[in-house]
Amino acid sequence: MSLVVEDELVEHMANPNNYGSLEDADAIGIGENPDNGEKVIIYIKVKEEGSTPKIEQIRFQAIACMTTVVAGSIITKEAENLTFDKVDELIAITLGMLENVPADQAACSEMVAVALRASIDTYQAKKENPNIPAIIYKIEQSCNPNLSTPIIQESEDI
Amino acid sequence: MKRVLVKTHELWLEMQMGAFMAKDSESKRVLNEYSKILWRHFTWIEHNIIKNGIEYNYDRDVIPIKVDKLSVLLSDMVHRINDIEFLLVHIDDEALNYRLQRDLEYIKYSLANIEDEDITAFDMNRQYRDIELDEEARGALTLFLFEESYKEYELIMIYNYLQAHSDDAFLNRIFQILIDESFFHLRSFGEMMAEMGILGVPRVIYESLYKVSNLEKFLLDGIEEEIMAKEQCKELSDAVSTKSKELAKFFDFINYQENYHIELMREAVEYYREKNSNG
Repeated sequence: MSLVVEDELVEHMANPNNYGSLEDADAIGIGENPDNGEKVIIYIKVKEEGSTPKIEQIRFQAIACMTTVVAGSIITKEAENLTFDKVDELIAITLGMLENVPADQAACSEMVAVALRASIDTYQAKKENPNIPAIIYKIEQSCNPNLSTPIIQESEDI
Repeated sequence: MKRVLVKTHELWLEMQMGAFMAKDSESKRVLNEYSKILWRHFTWIEHNIIKNGIEYNYDRDVIPIKVDKLSVLLSDMVHRINDIEFLLVHIDDEALNYRLQRDLEYIKYSLANIEDEDITAFDMNRQYRDIELDEEARGALTLFLFEESYKEYELIMIYNYLQAHSDDAFLNRIFQILIDESFFHLRSFGEMMAEMGILGVPRVIYESLYKVSNLEKFLLDGIEEEIMAKEQCKELSDAVSTKSKELAKFFDFINYQENYHIELMREAVEYYREKNSNG
């Protein structure tokens, strides 16, 4: 175990932003680690305004380690009130940053980013089929660096 | 009735956090005792809900506990008790209703007699007793306390849910031991967190974790997790051993306790398999 835990991270661990669920969510997306079954579930409430929809409210839950909770707290805070275009940019930037991070550490943030992607995709898919279940994206990085699984799309009733 | 369960859950946790953060030993003792009573209320209300065939879960709101003075938290507890008292009309079991009313009335009265004190449980001092830890050991301890305090809360809720939905005396005995053990661990870790100024309420548990669909798999996964927890305790004990024999011994003590949990869970798996194979 070798790590330095800054006060700012402790604050995210003690009081994670946006932790919980939204009963009246417009869409739900799930990011999953296929190696160990860890999951991030993102709930979004969307406002249709102008040419692109906007995240009005966002919540997340994590069946995962504390690092994932910290990533969820930071990323969902950034995603609040963003248009879908900006959310796409946020996801791309997050995933891009992870390229230089060791796989075991990157897995937690990737799980949040792909859950966010899944929630947006579920929202768009619901326009065609309102009964579509939550989309699940599986992560590429692994908590165990010796393993790597490609992204797979599935769906789940929540 | 579900609302009473949620509000009692929140009050129980707030009272437990209050007990962790109080430094005066008498206030700590009283808040701890009341949190235990509220936990029992929670389980009785849950039983009543199950008896009435009502669907429920362990969802609850976020509980803000970051205060500078204990009195602020105590007055929030009184507000919460007032809210629960209004909701008691939904408890149809007269004996239970009477018991809850009388307990809450006394707890509310008694909270007013608790001495106020300054709270340092959120000041991020990251210091435990007079032990000088280096940055890495302090980081490892901080992360461990957050991970494990949540884990203990999760285990309490999972085993409680399993127990509430089982009439098997053999399994329920094991579940009760594991609940009691997790309460001890939660208290130990919570008090350390309060002293280090990093206290936080464990996050809400995702429903599928306690609504266990495959008990055997849950127990087998649980054994794996306990083995990993033992490893973490050992690593932590090693990381702090040069600086504090006391802290190292404490983590060894927690590590050795996990052996018995693993054994109990193995017994539960064996029993469950045998029971199911006999139809």
